[in-house]
Amino acid sequence: MRAALAGLLMLLCAAAAAQPLEHQVKAAFVFKFLSFVDWPAQSFAGLDAPLAIGVLGADELLAELNGIVQGRSAQNRPVSVRALREGEKPAGLHLIFVGRAAAAQIPRLAVLPGVLVVSESEGALEQGSMVNFVRVEGRVRFEVAPEQAERRGVRISSRMLAVAQHVKPGRL
Amino acid sequence: MKLPAFLRRSLRNKVTALVVATTLAALAIAALALLYNNIREYRETELAQLRTQAAILARASAAPLAFNDAKEAANALGILGVNPAVEIAALYGADGRLFVTFVQGGVSGADLPQLARAAGTSVEDNRVAIFHPVVQDRQALGTVYVRARSGLTERLLAYLGILAAATGGALAAALLLSVWLQRAVTAPLLGLAEAARRVIDKRDFSVRAGKSTEDEIGVLAEAMNAMLASLEREIAERTSAEEALRTVDRRKDEFLATLAHELRNPLAPVRNALYLMQAAPDDAAMGAEARAIIDRQVRQMVRLVDDLLDVSRITTGKLALRRESVELRAVASSALEAVEPLVRQRGHTLAADLPPPGIRLNADPTRLAQVLLNLLNNAAKFTPPGGRIEFSAGIRDGELVARVSDNGIGIAPQMLAEIFEMFAQADLSLERTTGGLGVGLSLSRRLVELHGGTLEAASEGLGRGARFVVRMPVVEAAASGAPASASPAAAPGGRRLLLVDDNTDFVDSLARVLQRMGHQVRVEYDGEAGLSAAREFRPQVAFLDIGMPRMNGFELARRLRAESGTAAAILIAVTGWGQPHDRRQAKEAGFDDYLVKPVEIEQIERVLQAVTR
Repeated sequence: MRAALAGLLMLLCAAAAAQPLEHQVKAAFVFKFLSFVDWPAQSFAGLDAPLAIGVLGADELLAELNGIVQGRSAQNRPVSVRALREGEKPAGLHLIFVGRAAAAQIPRLAVLPGVLVVSESEGALEQGSMVNFVRVEGRVRFEVAPEQAERRGVRISSRMLAVAQHVKPGRL
Repeated sequence: MKLPAFLRRSLRNKVTALVVATTLAALAIAALALLYNNIREYRETELAQLRTQAAILARASAAPLAFNDAKEAANALGILGVNPAVEIAALYGADGRLFVTFVQGGVSGADLPQLARAAGTSVEDNRVAIFHPVVQDRQALGTVYVRARSGLTERLLAYLGILAAATGGALAAALLLSVWLQRAVTAPLLGLAEAARRVIDKRDFSVRAGKSTEDEIGVLAEAMNAMLASLEREIAERTSAEEALRTVDRRKDEFLATLAHELRNPLAPVRNALYLMQAAPDDAAMGAEARAIIDRQVRQMVRLVDDLLDVSRITTGKLALRRESVELRAVASSALEAVEPLVRQRGHTLAADLPPPGIRLNADPTRLAQVLLNLLNNAAKFTPPGGRIEFSAGIRDGELVARVSDNGIGIAPQMLAEIFEMFAQADLSLERTTGGLGVGLSLSRRLVELHGGTLEAASEGLGRGARFVVRMPVVEAAASGAPASASPAAAPGGRRLLLVDDNTDFVDSLARVLQRMGHQVRVEYDGEAGLSAAREFRPQVAFLDIGMPRMNGFELARRLRAESGTAAAILIAVTGWGQPHDRRQAKEAGFDDYLVKPVEIEQIERVLQAVTR
């Protein structure tokens, strides 16, 4: 009975999200990245301090992500999402999504300690981004530069690397 | 509970069945328990393995599911290729829809569930399956489904195979064990049964059950043997008792036949003699010969009947001795004298070694003479004509020892004891030449024993003669000395004699004899007539029968003693009953002496001699 009910629920959800848009997929991925990444403990104010996401130059995704994190947690912490203005000091953030429009900000942000930079621009990894969305055969995939993340104290799970489209080699 | 026939009949089958059944039952119970435990454990292990595999798979497929990477998800499922038992596996997305499948071993994936189900394992159709959630950081990413062939059936078959082999082995062991058990348990019992069967079938009580064990069966064997032993003893006793009874019975039959024969034998010559006397009454020579024949034969008959009477007295325990002072030489002489005619007739030589005169002993002279005469008679009878007989009598070491030996037919060693048995005769063949009732030796031995002595026989064997020895303690007699009993003298004639007896033949013939001897004789046939005759006749000696009509002998004697005319007469009782009781009664009635029938002329002569003196 319960199994049947759960199946029915899943069926309904699946029907609703029949053809997800690109920003929706990316928002979902960003949220899921939280589960495969470890941040240094000192980057949190306390045990209950939230995982803070900043979104720069991607309003649609921001809106989507706000919807996703509502009432959900990652790594036993609440998740907060806020918009990041250009030139604003990105204090207290753990993950910064840099939209295509703000790609120029990547080098500046990629040096912040304890911050995972996720981008959606071609060649972004070369500019210091650590996770970068790409499109492959019409599907959203991503490439990873784990060594660059490590340099900022952020560790990306090998399981995430396994599903990455490309892993940028580096001295680890 | 009724057992099947093959078990009821044989203990051996019972033991075998018991051992086999026990083994099988133990094996079956152990096997079932092991099987149950094994199946349970195996299933648990199988499910645990499946769970582990699903968990690993779930972990490996978390990222592919999270990031919707079908290729990487298929890679993750591909890990299952190392386990050939896995038939089918699948990943379902967070929405429950089939995401990736994995199939191996030519199994069709048609029955794969299209939607994820709640987590859990299921077992059906020899397959185990599991739905396992894929969770990453508390977020449900999807579901793993793995289905594998269960190895349980194979396992079960292998197990049953092992079980069959073990059962076979155990059965063989059980059979071997039952053979051994049978040797240990059944064999002694079977031995017992066999012994019992032999006893029953053959009535052979000498059979003994072999005792090979110290257990209950051994006790049983011992008890049975003890029973058999006592049974055997009892039966042997009973058999010998029956045998003895049969022997006595047979001897009695033989004795009766012999008796009839022996009593009949003298009658023929007597009749012949009578015929001769009637045919030629004037032929004096023939008359004398006839009388001699009659005399011999009648004596023979008297001796036979005397023996018979003695036998009857001995068997009823009524034989009594009349002990008195006896001169040994006189007794021996009289016996030698009596046997002399037979010795002469058979042409034997008789060597006698007589004791010196004057040796006296306290014995019954008649019985002592009877014993010696019997031995001498036997010697003469059982020695072929022309033999040699030796007699000796004397005192040795304070004991009377009398020997009679001959060189006659002898006695077989096994017969030495038997000849003293009543009615025994060494020679039972029809052709035997010797007569007799077969009571002489038995009688003699009893008489010697009554004197406190022994009579023994010895022989070197058949044809080598025999020797009989009488031993008797000498009991010194009173010095007074009665007159020698055996000194016959000429009968004095001219006495007045009264004979009273209801046996007319006896009394008439006796009267005739006494008249011929020169006496005056008066005969009466009853007591009253006897009394009146006595008053008138005044007899010097009266011979009175005891059992008579009208007045018995005791009464008559009392009357005669009471009357002055007859009080002085010598009264002699003549009776067929020689009991001590009668003797005492006779004395009380006034009799002077007592004669037992048949009365011999010699006895009367002796009495008359005493009267004369």
